[in-house]
Amino acid sequence: MKRKFLLRIRVLLFFTLLFFTAHAQNRTVTGVVLSKVSGQPLVGATVSAKGTRTAVSTDNQGKFQISVPSTAKMLVISYVGMASQEVGIPASGTVTISLDQTASSKMDEVVVVGYGTQRKSVVTGAISSVRASDLENQPVIRVEQALQGRTSGLTISAVSGQPGSSSTVRLRGFTSFGNGKNDPLWVIDGVIVDAGGIGYLNDDDIESIEVLKDGASAAIYGTRAAAGVILITTKKGKAGALRINYNGYYGTQAPSKKLSLMNAEQYATTRNNANAAVGSAPVFTDPSSLGKGTDWQKDIFNYHAPKTNHELSISGGNDKATWFTSFGYTDFQGVVATSISRYKRLNYRINTNFKPAKWISFGENLGYEHGKTNGVGDVNREFGGVISSAINLDPVTPAIITDTAAQKIFMPQTAAQIAAATRTPGGQYYGISPYVGQEMKNPLAYIQNHLGNFNWDNNIVGNAYVDLTPIKGLVIHSSLGTKMAFYGYESFTPVAFYNTSTTINQSNLTRNETWVINWNVENTISYNRVFNRHNITLLGGWGEYKDGNARGATVSYNNIPAKTFDQASFIYSALPADRQNSSGSDGTDHRINSLFSRLQYNYDEKYLLTALIRRDGSSRFGTNNKFGYFPSVSVGWVPTLESFFPQTNVVNNLKIRASYGVTGNDGIGDFAFVPTVGANGERNYSFGTSGAVNIGYSPNAPANPNLKWEQTSQLDFGFDAVLLKALTFTVDVYKKKTTGILQTPQIPSYAGYGSFAQNFDDIENKGIEFELGYRKKLGELTLGVNGNISFYQNKVTKMLPGTTYFEDNSATFQTMGNITRTAINEPYQRFFGYQSLGIFQTQADIDNYVGPDKTTKLQPTAKPGDLKIANLQNDNNIDANDRTYLGNPNPTMSYGITINLSYKNFDFVAFGSGSGGNQIFQGLRRLDINTANYLTKYLDAWTPTNTGASLPRIALADPGKSYSRFTSLYLESGNYFKLRTLQLGYNLPKSMLTKWGCQRLRVYVLSENLFTVTKYSGYDPEIGVSPDAGGGAQFGIDKGLYVPARTFLVGLSLGF
Amino acid sequence: MKFYKIKNTFLLAALAMGAQLVGACKKELNVNTQGRFTTDTYYKTPADAFAALVSVYDRFGFQTGGLYDKLSIMDVAGDDQLAGGGSATDINDLQVTQTYTLSSTSGPEGYLWSRGYSGIYRANVLLSKIDGCGLDAATKARYIAEVKAMRGAFYFDLVTFFKAIPLITGILPIDSLYNVTQVAPADVYAYVEKDLNDAIPVLPHTVNITTEGGRLTQGGAKAILGKVLLYEKKWQAAADMLHDVNGDNPGVTPSMYGYSLLPNYGDLWLSKNKFNSESVVEFVHSSLSNGSWSDAGASEGNLVCITTGPRGYSQLKTAAPDYFSGYSFLVFTKDFAENVMYGDPRYTATVANLDSLKTAGAASYTAGYNNTGYFLGKFIGRVSDKAANTPELNFGQDEYEIRLADTYLMEAEALMNAGADVSAGSRAYQLFNAVRARVGLAPIAVTQDNLEKERRLEFAGEGLRWPDLVRWGKAATVLASRGFVAGKNEIFPIPQSELNNTKLEQTKEWGGTK
Repeated sequence: MKRKFLLRIRVLLFFTLLFFTAHAQNRTVTGVVLSKVSGQPLVGATVSAKGTRTAVSTDNQGKFQISVPSTAKMLVISYVGMASQEVGIPASGTVTISLDQTASSKMDEVVVVGYGTQRKSVVTGAISSVRASDLENQPVIRVEQALQGRTSGLTISAVSGQPGSSSTVRLRGFTSFGNGKNDPLWVIDGVIVDAGGIGYLNDDDIESIEVLKDGASAAIYGTRAAAGVILITTKKGKAGALRINYNGYYGTQAPSKKLSLMNAEQYATTRNNANAAVGSAPVFTDPSSLGKGTDWQKDIFNYHAPKTNHELSISGGNDKATWFTSFGYTDFQGVVATSISRYKRLNYRINTNFKPAKWISFGENLGYEHGKTNGVGDVNREFGGVISSAINLDPVTPAIITDTAAQKIFMPQTAAQIAAATRTPGGQYYGISPYVGQEMKNPLAYIQNHLGNFNWDNNIVGNAYVDLTPIKGLVIHSSLGTKMAFYGYESFTPVAFYNTSTTINQSNLTRNETWVINWNVENTISYNRVFNRHNITLLGGWGEYKDGNARGATVSYNNIPAKTFDQASFIYSALPADRQNSSGSDGTDHRINSLFSRLQYNYDEKYLLTALIRRDGSSRFGTNNKFGYFPSVSVGWVPTLESFFPQTNVVNNLKIRASYGVTGNDGIGDFAFVPTVGANGERNYSFGTSGAVNIGYSPNAPANPNLKWEQTSQLDFGFDAVLLKALTFTVDVYKKKTTGILQTPQIPSYAGYGSFAQNFDDIENKGIEFELGYRKKLGELTLGVNGNISFYQNKVTKMLPGTTYFEDNSATFQTMGNITRTAINEPYQRFFGYQSLGIFQTQADIDNYVGPDKTTKLQPTAKPGDLKIANLQNDNNIDANDRTYLGNPNPTMSYGITINLSYKNFDFVAFGSGSGGNQIFQGLRRLDINTANYLTKYLDAWTPTNTGASLPRIALADPGKSYSRFTSLYLESGNYFKLRTLQLGYNLPKSMLTKWGCQRLRVYVLSENLFTVTKYSGYDPEIGVSPDAGGGAQFGIDKGLYVPARTFLVGLSLGF
Repeated sequence: MKFYKIKNTFLLAALAMGAQLVGACKKELNVNTQGRFTTDTYYKTPADAFAALVSVYDRFGFQTGGLYDKLSIMDVAGDDQLAGGGSATDINDLQVTQTYTLSSTSGPEGYLWSRGYSGIYRANVLLSKIDGCGLDAATKARYIAEVKAMRGAFYFDLVTFFKAIPLITGILPIDSLYNVTQVAPADVYAYVEKDLNDAIPVLPHTVNITTEGGRLTQGGAKAILGKVLLYEKKWQAAADMLHDVNGDNPGVTPSMYGYSLLPNYGDLWLSKNKFNSESVVEFVHSSLSNGSWSDAGASEGNLVCITTGPRGYSQLKTAAPDYFSGYSFLVFTKDFAENVMYGDPRYTATVANLDSLKTAGAASYTAGYNNTGYFLGKFIGRVSDKAANTPELNFGQDEYEIRLADTYLMEAEALMNAGADVSAGSRAYQLFNAVRARVGLAPIAVTQDNLEKERRLEFAGEGLRWPDLVRWGKAATVLASRGFVAGKNEIFPIPQSELNNTKLEQTKEWGGTK
């Protein structure tokens, strides 16, 4: 490799020398750029001499001055949102240019392509872009949410409505198995940030987002890029006057939905009926006396949770230096259990660039973030989170005990329990349910006991770079980037008696602190040359990356004399040593180094070609396969530039593209290629009477020295068109295949050893994506519509030898065990359970339901009202082998639509998105708690007098297994459409503003998540991959989602 | 042109630097394995061999993170106890065992299966690596004997629980993983006998209980082999094997290994009373392992102590025992406590009658699922024994895998079946009545019926009842009301995950072909 690299250097040197002599005399051109529509000067428009890399920006009066070679004939003027224009350079050297807004502007934008930029008109890959203007004034704080519904090919679902929580992002279906390996790569100003770490970024700092969807575009990121690449460029300063922008909003949030749960009377009646169904005595003597009872949801919901955001940016510069700096402050309070659900973030950014001489520039892009989160704990988990408790707790138990009668029933009985029971600040006891126990806690008591607990993080992400331009067209770029993160948590849990099975016997104070410093170094050399309509850009580069070395320490004190977080302190260090625990954690360095080179070529912008190759080496593989090679090629043709293409007004521009690229993934964890011997976990044993524990060692798993890169190859065909001068239209079809997926599959236990890493399975995705844009001016009304829609299908085409399915990463649900499974030649992770044949209406139906022997009753314990289960095996019993595939948890279609209207000084935005093609597992009720509350839809359960019911009978402990088997009863359609944003803004007239020295003042009102169109009965159909929900990689598992908020807010944008 | 020279220098320097770094790249990829050993770097010292031995013992006394162990499964499978717990699905693996609704996808079989095979694997690892560990010959021979004895015990459990199982005698290469087949039970028994016979002559007669208590001894291995032979109905061989364990004068003088019955039956379940003279094979637990909820199975504490404790227990008077509040599992049935056990001198040590404590106002507790008020007193954790950290998971009380009363009764049974004299004064009579005499019961005749009754009372809650019923052929009758199906429930189903994609087949009992 060294030799090849040196060869490449020699070639570059040759070019270098060849074109040294091409340097020639310059002359100066000045001018002004105006908006054709408003006549106002355009600030920050780019002016360049055609065929050169010389470019300047217009100042705040729209003026520019550019030094061009005497040979230059044309200037190219471009501005975001407007059509680029080429003008001849007059002899006078002074020009006035008016730019028009047009739909074709998209084709002339500059897009970031990884290690460089390219004009959209010559891009050969499938790249979707999102601009700052699309994101402005959206009340989202995480970039995933900003991207949701904006481009085709992305399926994005929020994991939780908890403020600050992340979303699951899938680009073009499933690239691999598991969760992490399907997360796209995030690159911010050239710095790689892991998917989980993206939350540090202030949405308002984003200048543009590029989504590299096809393999050929992504291949420049080689092994990191299999699941796609999302490039983010932050805002930079521009030469000209100082600019100050402020944007802020304040609003209030409310839960977007409340479940319809049974009230006390309904609950008591249902339970009495459930007992009667099995011949047991009723539990409640007079249900009607119980009334409505406790509404646990109401008790933990907040309909006025505030949401605030402020952002101030100051930028400016001159021709020697530019800078952009911003401050952000975000405070979102949760709509559930607000006092323990909050997210606060502070951001600071400084991006600067210095250009002391024509041949050198350097600078840095640096973001700092401090975040503080109060979390409600378990979300989307059936084991005791506040939401799960509110759903499952009976409505009979009072939230707080106020009378002595209740004290007898809803209070702990023994002195020790009473001493440990949680009390309100006013000294009253929280009710303890005598009916619903286990992990279900009075959520108010839980909130009281978790006040103050928080997670914190500090992130510094950025890079310092230098660009050298020793000769025209040649750029040597060197960048040192880092992501430093410092994070941890502080928690205190007091002694608590929630119920007899959930009791905390000793208080605990824990502090965790962890730090990680990831870095990457990248050096590239690029050379651009235009001659005789040939435009060539060559790029060579080298990079080295390190991550994964998180180091942490945790200290905890047990049994400290404190009752609340505020009282708790590590000052109690005089505690006996056995009450003090500490532990540490060490990450393992994960290193990658890379060599890459790329050729971009076009002839007259008509015939386009990009070819590249990247070689990556990873510390995660043994010597057999340390390095992987990732080539790609893409071509394009613009027939509208051909002389034979008919010049009509129908097709104004058309570009046809095709690409093929290979990317890779080393996501298997460290040291999977060596047979490690471990001491952790279940290996220890004690001998003798002292109780001293001997540490045992045994191998973790056998070696697999042939472990290698998993490879994803992707073929993409697409076209970009501008039609009727107002419509942009992009279509892409792709086929993506990943081979040799890295995994540690479940293996038979008789081997005795743990599962070992293997490359085996293959998965294939096929999809089609459409993006459409329309922009039209009708008098003073401007209408813009942007929409996108994507569909994909996948199937697992290869599995381990002899395997026809696997349940790795399957979702689980309580006593049902695994509820998803992946079969060969079928989509990744489908729901797998019993097929229901409806409800038995009579005993005769049950007696007649027999096996092939005509005598064995298949469901002998069933009673009328129970579910009839299909005997798919056609044997004499119903067992696990009778299960089948019931649906798909993963959305296969997603779409988004934005409508922009502006009229005079008013502007209006409506933005919505949705997804579909999937089912949701509605697992809100705890099956193993017979006494848990029900949704009111269970009022329509079968009874002898309600035989037309849609739901089977409710009987104590479910002897007929109607509810304890996984049937389609638990599945609901996941299709939805959400109106995410509705916004109305008003720009104050310029005449008013100038008085205050202000350039721009816009006020707006905005509603977020105003409504959702769905048939789903849970809180929300948008359910991302939640590891808490059991299993690893599927969407659509609902065990008590944190309800998303509906927001109303008012905002102000101000520009000086 | 001077300016160009400077630029050139810059360029060349940058390129040279780049080339240098590229050369360094491969080395950069070799990351320090910090804190990790590999099978090539480990197993080099005597300490490594010892750690490997410890890992085998870990499986010997293994409990699952699902809060149960072999004893718990056997207890709830029998006729005297209920799973109990907090609800009908609390520790579901035990509930389905008790109700005989277990299947190849739901039940404790996965635990029983993997306990055995991971133990066998760890034993095989040590056997294959021990040569390189630099042990002296005696230590090496002892380690080999210990792991062979344990491998034998693992296979014995596996073959009794599953009947048709694969016999894996070395480390299975990863390319043969899916080619494994089952063997006839007789082949497994032969292998078990060989392993134990290999081990017996090498194992020490006794160990220093302060430092090595819990490690296998010759007496322990003989007791295991005696039990194996008894299960094989090789009556005479079983009696011969157990003879040494029990000694020439059972109940009178200690055997050659120093075994004798404890005078006071209740002392057997004192937490501190480890490795007493009645203990033959013991699973060791410790209160010092700091076991935590993140992996309860990794705790060396005894999980039965917490699962058997009454829920929400409060000691109201000091006369009441200082039970640690637990999860109310493994409760005795009313019938057993009131009609079978009540009146026996072993009742007090065996049954914790919580309702009588409650009635007397001495204590209170919360009724769990299927509560009877009768708890398994032998194991309930005590506040006075509680560990410093996560006390619920770290009780230090041991469990007997085999104790002397068991080997006495097994030998008596073997002798009786072998046709030996069982009349008063005979060895069988002496063995049988030594167990009774210890608790002050008068001697009675050695008959199958009497032996069965004695074992039921002596070992109540110790996990022996169910395997006894099965080997006596009484399970189908006794357990019929629980749902036991003859010709099916004598064994556990092979876990479905072992059948998926492999050459293993389910047993005939469970609808398969093996």
